[in-house]
Amino acid sequence: MNPTSVTTPHGDGRAFAADLLRGHTDTIVLGILRGGDNYGYEIHKAIRDAAGGDHEIKEATLYATYRRLQRDGLVESYWGDETQGGRRKYYRITDAGQAVFHNNVAAWVATRRIIDSLLGARDPMEGHGQ
Amino acid sequence: MTDETIRSTGGDVHRLLDEAFLGIEMTADAQDLKEEVRVNLLARIAELAAGGHSPDDAAVRALEELGDIRELLGASAAATATVPQGWAEAVERHRVRIKPSSVVGAGIAALAAAVGLVVALLGASRALPLPVGVLFPLIGIGATGVAWIVGEALARETTTKHPMPIKRTSGYFFATLLAAYGLGVGGLIALHAIPLWATALAALGVVAGLVLFAILGATQTNRRKAWVRMMRRGRPRLTRRFADEPEVAVRFGIYTTVTWAVAFAGFVMLGATIGWAWSWLCLLGGFVVMMLTIARMLFRSI
Repeated sequence: MNPTSVTTPHGDGRAFAADLLRGHTDTIVLGILRGGDNYGYEIHKAIRDAAGGDHEIKEATLYATYRRLQRDGLVESYWGDETQGGRRKYYRITDAGQAVFHNNVAAWVATRRIIDSLLGARDPMEGHGQ
Repeated sequence: MTDETIRSTGGDVHRLLDEAFLGIEMTADAQDLKEEVRVNLLARIAELAAGGHSPDDAAVRALEELGDIRELLGASAAATATVPQGWAEAVERHRVRIKPSSVVGAGIAALAAAVGLVVALLGASRALPLPVGVLFPLIGIGATGVAWIVGEALARETTTKHPMPIKRTSGYFFATLLAAYGLGVGGLIALHAIPLWATALAALGVVAGLVLFAILGATQTNRRKAWVRMMRRGRPRLTRRFADEPEVAVRFGIYTTVTWAVAFAGFVMLGATIGWAWSWLCLLGGFVVMMLTIARMLFRSI
């Protein structure tokens, strides 16, 4: 499901995967928001759960991402109406965000095909994922 | 994790966030970011605690996961373009250019000061055949030039300071004028160009100038620019008792006036009786008393 979670048996692969993951933070956040409006903690949790264990994307990076996406008009934010423990700041993907997400996914799929063929790698998840 | 522990951990998080945001201008934007981070941190801490971590351990881990808080604030600053990073960038962003008119004004004033004082000096040393009556206005021109430079420099806005209000600037102008005039007349006396009785005139000018300076200095408040204060936060703070307690500044003004009135009376009296060669010690005494008063009042012993 998540191609970048593939790692080598050796630890070195993790750093490489983390770099790749960080390069796609914007798209990943947009992808999570496609499943519904969400707030910082849940978005980070979704990434943590998918990446498994170590925290490849720091929360600090995510805050920068939210601000960038907002500035570019790809997401918009609003405050929730929770009463206990403070209000959450929710993010909602915009139509422009949807369009950018689709473009980025198409680019990723094309890139992955090229890299796979160049590296002679075969995703063990192929045929099950997506 | 009970409500109590959540609350105490929340308090810690709030304190840690306060520290992290210290020195950041609390715009609505920064306030929003802080609130957002706080709520998300609390949620993560609760999750970690539910997973078996102790509340303290959970707080530490959640903050670690947050990452470099400075990086976060840096990103926020870049996004909002309100908080400059580092001194050089801040100076670049807030640079105030000097007006050509103030450069020309300072140039003319410097020229007037130099010409006035040099011609007076030449006249006093008999190099130029000038009547004594002309020396006083020449010293006046020189002193005005010096006072203009001081006043203009204070009234001008620079990169690190606001322009001083015109009334206070005038105060410094007159204080400098009086002191410079007094010193100039003192110089004429030293060159034996004018009679010794003029010492009273010189001393009056210097003393009046010093008193005015002391009053202006004591009532000065800190009006440096907000961004400069922000960049300098954390450095040792100078005492600001006179600014914080105006009545202490008033008291200092009264002490100073009395000190100098007594010193000046003593100066004239000793000058007329013992001689002018030693009477200046009264003025020195007055100055010493004034400085000690400043020091003691600033450090709150009186």
